[in-house]
Amino acid sequence: MTEFYGLPNAGEFWHWTNALHFVLVGLAGGVALLAAYLHLKRHEEARRYTLWALALIALDLFVLWAESPARFRFTHIWLFLSFHPQSPIGWGAWGLALSFLTGGLLFLGKGPQRALAWAFLLFSLVALAYPGMALAVNLNRPLWNALLAGLFPLTALVLALALAALLGSPWAREPLRLFAGASLLLTALYPLTLAPEARGHLLEEGGFPFLLFLLLGLGAFQERLGPWMGLLSAAGLRALLVLVGQWQGFGL
Amino acid sequence: MPRYAMAIDLSLCVGCAACAVACKMENEVPPGVHRLWIRERELGVFPDLTVEFRPEQCLHCANPPCVPVCPTGASYQTKDGLVLVDPGKCIACGACVAACPYDARYLHPGGYVDKCTFCAHRLEKGGVPACVETCPTGCRAFGDLDDPESPVAKALKEAGRVDVLRPELGTQPKLFYLNAPSKKGLSQEREVRHD
Repeated sequence: MTEFYGLPNAGEFWHWTNALHFVLVGLAGGVALLAAYLHLKRHEEARRYTLWALALIALDLFVLWAESPARFRFTHIWLFLSFHPQSPIGWGAWGLALSFLTGGLLFLGKGPQRALAWAFLLFSLVALAYPGMALAVNLNRPLWNALLAGLFPLTALVLALALAALLGSPWAREPLRLFAGASLLLTALYPLTLAPEARGHLLEEGGFPFLLFLLLGLGAFQERLGPWMGLLSAAGLRALLVLVGQWQGFGL
Repeated sequence: MPRYAMAIDLSLCVGCAACAVACKMENEVPPGVHRLWIRERELGVFPDLTVEFRPEQCLHCANPPCVPVCPTGASYQTKDGLVLVDPGKCIACGACVAACPYDARYLHPGGYVDKCTFCAHRLEKGGVPACVETCPTGCRAFGDLDDPESPVAKALKEAGRVDVLRPELGTQPKLFYLNAPSKKGLSQEREVRHD
């Protein structure tokens, strides 16, 4: 039996608002990647998706600021007055800001378009990669293992491609199925990559939603509702892993 | 440069929480969050019973996982080995809270992350942390690890057994637990969980 005088600060530190950001940043990074790719392919929809990427990045950055308890202390300026290459969130701040900048210049048609498209692609990859890393870097959290560094970029692409499919772009359907399949495979394997007590915690705290989002993900292969299913499944899974993963294990 | 560290002799600690209260007062720690708390755990089966009183706080790790994850540099390590937060740079993103394996960090209602400072403001004046000063059993020792005459170095040398929390994570804590009451060392939650 364990008792306390006072309490360890073991409560939730990333709340539903942060989980929402993890979904939005997946969309933002994923759509930015699509937009950059479309630019490189000189696709007619490039500008349309660049605008979507800009809106989603802006929305995500706004949510990040708005939900931050430090919002009115305006300390966020330090994200850009310092460089901390070991910090995934530091990478994310720069990745999203530079994606916005390069995407904006592309949208406005200013500057060397080809070079900007490549830069946009690079920065969007950073934005795509950092949320999974922000979790996986915490070796003390048994549920946030290295698999998340792969699962988060994959689910981000599912989100972006599902949105593209919902926006009526026919080219999005096939890759959506591909990435949904890959992310579902990793999701199904994920519990098996955990130590038994961590797996127990996942199933106890989030077993039902985990199964639900996995099953919804299978719906991504369906013709009509596929994009919706993919969107819900990827968003739900990202939010769930952020929320249930805030656990130290039984090592203390 | 000193290399500040603390040692707590668990064979002397009675878990009275005087240290936790002293910390609360000294550092004006807001309600609901703690820089220092006591974990009390009963182990074993009669007649082989043990109780472990374990004060916990920031261990000011030599290899602190909370520092590199900080995107603004608000979380930093001083030359004398303290792990501190600069509220003026903290965006309260919680990356350090996520990275800390010891639950030592909390969100201060002022909108920044806060934690034990080893009473840096007292050290500057040549004092010791409030928790060390107030301890009625004298189980806490503080000082410079590199000075063999410091209370902490002496306590470490004389201890029958020295443990740190979650050593497997490679954080190299500088809060040492001496003479843990259980033969197995520091207790873990998995030891006392029954299905």
